[in-house]
Amino acid sequence: MFYVRYLRNELVRRRTRTIVTAVGLGLGVALVVAIASLSKGLDRAQHKTLDPLAGIGTDLTVTLQPQQQQDQGFGGGGFGPGGGGGGNRDLIQANQSVLTDLSKLGKPGTHFVHDFFLPGTQLTFPQSAASQIASLDGVAQTTTGLTLLAEHQEGIVPKIVATLKTQAKTQTITRNLPRPSAQDFAKMQACLQKAGVTLGRPQTQQGQGFGNSFGGGGGNGGTTRSADRSAFQKCLPASMRRFRTRFTTPSQTLKQVLNPPQTNITTSAYTIGGVDQTSPNMGVVTTAQLTKGAFLSPAGGKEALVATSYAAKHSLKVGSKLDLNGTSFTVVGLVSPPLGGQSADVYLPLKQLQTLASEKNLANVILVHAKSSSDVAKVKQEIQQALPQAQVASSKDVADTISGSLVDASNLSHDLGLALSIVAAVAAFLLAALLALSSVGKRVRELGTLKALGWTQRMVVRQIAGESLVTGILGGIFGIALGVLVAVAVDAFGPSLTASSTTGSDLANLGVSTVRTATHSVSLTAPVGIAVLAIGFGLALLGGLIAGTAGALRAARLRPADALRQVE
Amino acid sequence: MSLYELTGVARYFQRGPTTVRALDDVTLEIEPGAFVALEGPSGSGKTTLLQILGALDRPSAGTVMFDGSDLVKQPDSALAGLRLRSFGFVFQQFNLIPTLTAVENVEAKLAPVGGTRERALQLLAEVGLAERADHLPAHLSGGEQQRVAIARALSVEPRVVLADEPTGNLDSATGGEIIDLLANLAAEHGSTVIVATHDASLAARAPRRVTMRDGKVTGNVHAVPA
Repeated sequence: MFYVRYLRNELVRRRTRTIVTAVGLGLGVALVVAIASLSKGLDRAQHKTLDPLAGIGTDLTVTLQPQQQQDQGFGGGGFGPGGGGGGNRDLIQANQSVLTDLSKLGKPGTHFVHDFFLPGTQLTFPQSAASQIASLDGVAQTTTGLTLLAEHQEGIVPKIVATLKTQAKTQTITRNLPRPSAQDFAKMQACLQKAGVTLGRPQTQQGQGFGNSFGGGGGNGGTTRSADRSAFQKCLPASMRRFRTRFTTPSQTLKQVLNPPQTNITTSAYTIGGVDQTSPNMGVVTTAQLTKGAFLSPAGGKEALVATSYAAKHSLKVGSKLDLNGTSFTVVGLVSPPLGGQSADVYLPLKQLQTLASEKNLANVILVHAKSSSDVAKVKQEIQQALPQAQVASSKDVADTISGSLVDASNLSHDLGLALSIVAAVAAFLLAALLALSSVGKRVRELGTLKALGWTQRMVVRQIAGESLVTGILGGIFGIALGVLVAVAVDAFGPSLTASSTTGSDLANLGVSTVRTATHSVSLTAPVGIAVLAIGFGLALLGGLIAGTAGALRAARLRPADALRQVE
Repeated sequence: MSLYELTGVARYFQRGPTTVRALDDVTLEIEPGAFVALEGPSGSGKTTLLQILGALDRPSAGTVMFDGSDLVKQPDSALAGLRLRSFGFVFQQFNLIPTLTAVENVEAKLAPVGGTRERALQLLAEVGLAERADHLPAHLSGGEQQRVAIARALSVEPRVVLADEPTGNLDSATGGEIIDLLANLAAEHGSTVIVATHDASLAARAPRRVTMRDGKVTGNVHAVPA
């Protein structure tokens, strides 16, 4: 067939032009394919990460969050601790146990490790509340979970030593002694005489002073001195003897400020979740999030699941031991928990965590699975009516709290993805049109010759359209190959996007910070869909075809004489 | 009956503000089987007249009767049909399709009328190019390219072969050969040949010479057959 040979010759013998046109088209197609695939990959990553509840078999989460100026306790709703007072008071109470009582940690100087478990901003309530929700219309299943903030403290119990030093003091007391009576004096004299001590003066000189008589007594000869003194003491009247023995120092209070002891106690925080291990498909973490190892066994032994990010940070792997306040837990599996309110770093069987945290039969989240997705809104309303203090969050509510580069990229792709795709497509289209037009533009004289030979306008257009079609196919194939290559490259190098979710609140004025941030890293993929390839291919074809045909039509419409007049 | 009967044919071109009268009131008759030389300097209107005769262009005024019907009144599709079956063109620049081989260039004219490759090869043999059938125009000499063009023009046994300066790009010896080939083959195929040329020596070889100047026919000589 001559026309086919002509077509082939045109493309083969004008190789450069064909390749340039096809590559141009291909770049446009590749752009469309790559953008569409990336956009799809983002959607997929977003769906996986930003739909946190779907992954844990849940439609709604029910929590009890403290509220400012709460008039009524939660007990009114049949839930829990009850009692009046604001939520903040409950919160402080619940979180108080972290205020370290050093005396309980061990003897001074010994090394200690202790984990404190706090409910954070999600107050605990009896597990029985779950059955109340389970009885609501439209609820298929409920399960409870306990997500706690753990404060891990480690260090040496400090020794507190206080050294007190008192000052030496001299006390001087001056006092007049009562004069002894004559009778006393006589007695004394008799006594002294009996002891062999002679008083130097006659009794008549008595009035000159008692003191002198003493002095005289004291001044007697050297060898008999001590014997004299004891005799003297013995012969003193009773009243004078008593006075000498009665002396007390004044009472005194000593005060010293002790500096706080130097300690090496370090604190780190993580989150810990209690999972109902008997419900592996619905809970704060489920088998769906398992990335390595096994799920908690139904028996609920001393087993733990660890989030992959936490495991990496603390070099934990399946089989590692996790010591929590003296109880050793075996890591049985690694999980990649979904973002949102209920994610944790470490998961234990619910009962185990309740025991560890002294929260027997208490939970702080109820996961609700509705009978059908259309019931979710209704169930949410029912729960809110039944338990007015409860906070009921749907998937969307939780997703809204998630932020990070994934969310930004996802929003970007939502806002810009379509626009960008359209721009890319239009650019590809225009490029194809331009190339096709310019290639036809250079062939006006040739087309004029064909018309002079007797070719009709239709035949000329058909020929050029055929060339454009084949060029479009080549460009499309090239573009698809390039687009797929880009997608494969994205998959291979997988730039990672992060999504983080911050829950709780910073109640700095209460001295309690319950802010928890969970971050997920998602590696970006670019899945290439058949539809995307078909659209890209179609665009290349259509672009080349329309432009080529339009150019050919313009040239073929010229009078042959005018076309022939064109300078090549 | 005359093959062509032109009456008061004019063709104006608008070049900016001025109107160029490429043809101005041309009245001419051409009988079938003739070998006509359209003679005149460049710009005298030879090419324009040739294009109107070959239905490549329409006159601004006048009537062009071809084989009893007025070309001016024919729709474009009918003119394309006439060009295909009744006219054959030979251009000064040869106007071969550069991506097609010699034989394929002949086929470009034959294909729309269902002609075969064998017929094309046969025509190339007639112009002495059987051996070069598979060469691209770029690999042929000027004279060879013009032979391909002649083979192409004659392939459908047209009523008229219109040649516009067919020797203009050739040396005089080759030009002479080409004119002879054209004249002989046209006679064999029973085609009327109209050759536009500014070369008086070539024109002198034609039995009929139409001289043009400034868009008007200034001379119309029927040579007496020897």
